Amino acid sequence: MNSSVSEKRRRVLAGLADALIAEGSGKPSASAAGVPGELLDRCLEAVPSLRSPLMAILDEAEGRDPDEFARELYARRPEDFTVLSTSVMGAYYLSPEVRKLIGYPGQAANPLSLAAAPEYLENGMLERVYERHPGYREQQGRERQPSPT
Amino acid sequence: MLGTGQPPDRPADVVIIGAGASGSVAAAALTGAGFRVVCLEQGEWSDTADYMSAEPEAELAWHEKWNPNQNIRRNPADYPVTGDADIHPTMYNGVGGGLVQWAAMWQNLLPSDFRVRTLDGVADDWPIGWNDLAPFYDRAARDMSVSGLSGDPAFPELAYPNPPMPIGRSGMAAARGMDRLGWHWWPGVNAIASRPHNNLNACQRRGTCIIGCPENAKANGALTHWPGALEGGARLITGARVREIALDRQGRARGAVYIDRNGAEHLQEAGVVILAANGAGSARLLLMSTSPQFPDGLANSSGLVGRRLMQHPYRTVMVVMEEELDSWEGPWGQRIYSLEFAETRPEHDFVRGAKLHVCPHGGPMFAVYDHHNAHRDAGFDGLWGAEFHRAADTVFGHAFTWGVQAEDLPEESNRIILDPEVTDSDGLPAVRAEYRVSENSRRMLDFNAARAVEAAEAAGAVETSVSSIWPTGISHILGTTRMGDDSSSSVVDRWCRAHDVPNLYIVDGGVFVTAGSANPTATIMANTLRVVERMIEQRRHQESAV
Repeated sequence: MNSSVSEKRRRVLAGLADALIAEGSGKPSASAAGVPGELLDRCLEAVPSLRSPLMAILDEAEGRDPDEFARELYARRPEDFTVLSTSVMGAYYLSPEVRKLIGYPGQAANPLSLAAAPEYLENGMLERVYERHPGYREQQGRERQPSPT
Repeated sequence: MLGTGQPPDRPADVVIIGAGASGSVAAAALTGAGFRVVCLEQGEWSDTADYMSAEPEAELAWHEKWNPNQNIRRNPADYPVTGDADIHPTMYNGVGGGLVQWAAMWQNLLPSDFRVRTLDGVADDWPIGWNDLAPFYDRAARDMSVSGLSGDPAFPELAYPNPPMPIGRSGMAAARGMDRLGWHWWPGVNAIASRPHNNLNACQRRGTCIIGCPENAKANGALTHWPGALEGGARLITGARVREIALDRQGRARGAVYIDRNGAEHLQEAGVVILAANGAGSARLLLMSTSPQFPDGLANSSGLVGRRLMQHPYRTVMVVMEEELDSWEGPWGQRIYSLEFAETRPEHDFVRGAKLHVCPHGGPMFAVYDHHNAHRDAGFDGLWGAEFHRAADTVFGHAFTWGVQAEDLPEESNRIILDPEVTDSDGLPAVRAEYRVSENSRRMLDFNAARAVEAAEAAGAVETSVSSIWPTGISHILGTTRMGDDSSSSVVDRWCRAHDVPNLYIVDGGVFVTAGSANPTATIMANTLRVVERMIEQRRHQESAV
């Protein structure tokens, strides 16, 4: 775990994170998903510009009611709220558990197959495009090329 | 510093400034014809190890390290773009240029795009037409391993070397809507290899095209053109920021003065100078190249250098369907496109038109962003806390995007100038953009966004949400050094040679007379090939200072 984020700040973040992402719809809250821990470190490494303003927000929020503080940011300080919400959400969706629950495999490799003819060629949809199109406009009239199908 | 073949101080036949889409084409063609080529590129090489595309953090890469906005990304090679323009120009500086981060939509201009004055009474005709570019479009498509389906009746006959990418569930959903309305659509054409082709591997559909393709399946001059050019003896100097085009006493270009990463200045002499630094960078360099003979900037006797900036104002429509669409699946390039409303129609309250295209919607963070933007009225209690998961449940995996890309017409008040205060890391003036979206463009966007919503509803959408005009540009920087036959109203001639300087050429998107509604890379690359082959053919008649 990255030592530059103190345990105290992580505790503050846990409260704020749950104010933004509570448990519900079969998904864990942000803190239960591990947002204040390693996931936060990975998020901040991916988006370094979040670190400094987030730390300032966490310091300011210490001792405040997390829900009340989050609402205050949302209502009055949209830039700070964006820093907080991006950090929390970015970390949350790095969780393998959360990804599994929402059915997200990540931007994974998924080789394509060109073996089957596209549906739009089989069902006549594209032929209809060709039939109804007036042709391209070059002079004042229209020109046409041969049908692809 | 890469490439070998000649000692550093030896004058080149041609110096190319910029190693992006147009520079890579020029370098490959000229080297192949036996020219001694040096290319000066202010950025560096990137490779798959630099990308975050195959990492779980891929969605986060957009926020900073691979943000399309250079002012946020802040690579050492980037120069600032300032100003309070309605649309902020963006670019990528490095080998491959904007192609490192492009969506790879491969779209030729329409035949009518070259003749808008004649056909519609607006702007200007190009000095060249469709037939001048047609053979080069086909060759550029082969060089870029384009995947597409021929036969679109909106164009004369086109050829692509690879079968089209699957349009996926989102493409089929969108196409059903167009089919019900009887509107034009066609499977997307993309410079992404649907099967191994030339130097490219087959696409793995990661959907991370815009933060760098980790599979080397998306075409990029760094993969498609530079390997051959370097093998043929071209010399590509990276980290070389050009500050001025040097002239001889007769006002001919004699090379380029650049600053290396150690801060040392060099003069790279050459018989011919080719600017390929995009519509902002080339205009910037001309404006920086002042001299007693050219006090307002080089090649600027028309006063048009930097003016007539066009950027394709852009809006999006988020479309949410009941059905599962695997919205994160790639490629990011267009699934389908439509040119139904790309031409002027008498019933419209605007002239010219827009291109519509379908893109995937991305991962869960994008789903939440779009959902929350669309439902701002719900306030904190409606979006966060216990309600947070609603966004992922309703939008993630079920959405696609209609992109609405408008043709903005050239206006001299829309321009690139040098910032009087802000500089890059070498102390050279930043680019300042002055750009307003015209009333014609706003009407065009309103109309076409409404049509995208109509098409989505015809497809069975359960929700749609229309964005405002994107304040960040889509890296289409066009028109700032326009071509034309009249030297008083254009910067370069039909062969893209500066009217004022006989051995200075410009080949990037700055030479566009009008923008059309098409993504510009196909035309930039085809036109560069046309121009450079003419240069090769006319080599014995080329005036030079070296």
